Amino acid sequence: MNKKTIVLSSFIIVILSFITIDNNLFDAPKNWPKPSYNFKKNPLTASKILLGRVLFYDPILSRNNTVSCANCHSQYTAFTHIDHALSHGIDDRIGTRNSPALMNLAWHNNFMWDGAINHLDMQALAPISHHDEMDENIKHVVEKLQTSKIYPLLFYRAFNDSLITGEKTLKAISQFMLTLLSANSKYDKVKRKEDSFTVQEEKGYELFKQNCASCHTEPLFTNLQFENNGLPIDSLLKDSGRKRITQNDKDFLKFKVPTLRNIEFSNPYMHDGRFKRISDVLKHYTNGIQSSKNLATDLQKPIVLSSDQKVDLTAFLLTLTDKEFLFNPKFGFPKEILLNK
Amino acid sequence: MGIIKLTFVLILFVFKTNGTMAQVNICFKPMFGNEKLDLNNPYYYLNPTDSIHIENLQFYISNIELYKNNQLVFKEKNSFHLLNVADSISLKLPLISNSNLIFDQIRFNIGIDSITNYGGAMGGDLDPTKGMYWTWQNGYINFKLEGKSNLCTTNNNEFTFHLGGYLFPFNTLQNIQLSTNNLHNIEINIALDKWFSGIDLKKQNHIMSPSNDAVLLSNKLLTIFFVSK
Repeated sequence: MNKKTIVLSSFIIVILSFITIDNNLFDAPKNWPKPSYNFKKNPLTASKILLGRVLFYDPILSRNNTVSCANCHSQYTAFTHIDHALSHGIDDRIGTRNSPALMNLAWHNNFMWDGAINHLDMQALAPISHHDEMDENIKHVVEKLQTSKIYPLLFYRAFNDSLITGEKTLKAISQFMLTLLSANSKYDKVKRKEDSFTVQEEKGYELFKQNCASCHTEPLFTNLQFENNGLPIDSLLKDSGRKRITQNDKDFLKFKVPTLRNIEFSNPYMHDGRFKRISDVLKHYTNGIQSSKNLATDLQKPIVLSSDQKVDLTAFLLTLTDKEFLFNPKFGFPKEILLNK
Repeated sequence: MGIIKLTFVLILFVFKTNGTMAQVNICFKPMFGNEKLDLNNPYYYLNPTDSIHIENLQFYISNIELYKNNQLVFKEKNSFHLLNVADSISLKLPLISNSNLIFDQIRFNIGIDSITNYGGAMGGDLDPTKGMYWTWQNGYINFKLEGKSNLCTTNNNEFTFHLGGYLFPFNTLQNIQLSTNNLHNIEINIALDKWFSGIDLKKQNHIMSPSNDAVLLSNKLLTIFFVSK
């Protein structure tokens, strides 16, 4: 082996080791569609992910340092706000919507129930500045971070520069959120032929494919679209959904289709959290649909399910629970950093 | 050997800078009537009885291009500039080119194009800490003008115009095309009095989201940029 070959092969080994590291940081499941997030503009690194995780759990993002992202997006409930139909933020102010569960966000190219946000990087700005959520602004957040004890070092480790900017802060938060992959439920294991459904789950899966899959499309269990699912408008909240953004009547009462992954833990359900239990949701789809011009095409024909079939369908939905995701310590509170602040 | 090489490189360098570098200075000058806009000036008169005070004017100039006979001769790279009247340096934009520039027209956008609006977090003048970014329905504010007028029956007689929006049908981006013969210093006046002349401040004093009105008021920006020399 001559000198050139040695240099070349060691170069390739170095490059390959980088690729392997990247794969470990974001291990997109096989046979899933290509993620829509542009990783080239924000390449994942362990130190940026860690910084994003610390920011996610740090109430420093809120006006009076009391509310963190995790307040309304708690890991054990699939990163949503358990027990609260409408999420509450700073000073116990109550918002107008149910905080969405966070997972598999690399496949989404708009966010919020009405798609008000067009990029994952910009998502965090909305809760940071919302009066009822964190009531802060990003300029002040950056000032607080710059004068804190821990952040200049964390930013230095992540970006080779301790100067903190809005861009770096948002990109780091994105990096952590991108790592929130849920793809290891029983359903996924069955698909990978590592497990098998019970008879009841199998029946439920068939019912799911017939009645639910056009909007809650596999493998993400959302078609990523906005749909009107026949909910009567709440007379107090008067939430017009996607129409608020597009100002187009065609979008009246359309909301982003949520994923069904981890549905067992992400209650309550719907944009305003009006249903507490899965059975309430199924009852809505069989008996509660309010017809309108904008109603999702696949709901225009009534869904008929016997009570046994509802039980079967529920059994299938419970196979979407991913305990590894819900209890993975790498998504949890970074106590080694935040407790020593 | 080393000295010869170094000399050669130096000669090349001198030749290159002397021979082909070009700089064009663009300077934006917001005006009210014949006066240069001064944020410390309490009043400008709209008519003998009504007055106006401007407290804040910030806007994006992007995608600057120079043309000769409708042929593109220069396109600024990474061309996004936040101009703030409170910071006079921000109103001066130097364009630097490797080749000598001969042009008869300058083109630029007021605001941020939709592709960039979809681009995620960005730094420099596009960093969201600059206060030119909407957070509840995201997107850049292209043009921000705030102040007071006796015509506004609002709190403190304030008016707030935050013009932006990148989604059809509320796209507010404006492309300006101005003829210019002066090759190295372009001064562009912004006739704010002209912009206000078409607005009834009694009825319209408050725009803070993408809308039809935001589009109409943004279209008016097309008519208030002039090359002054």
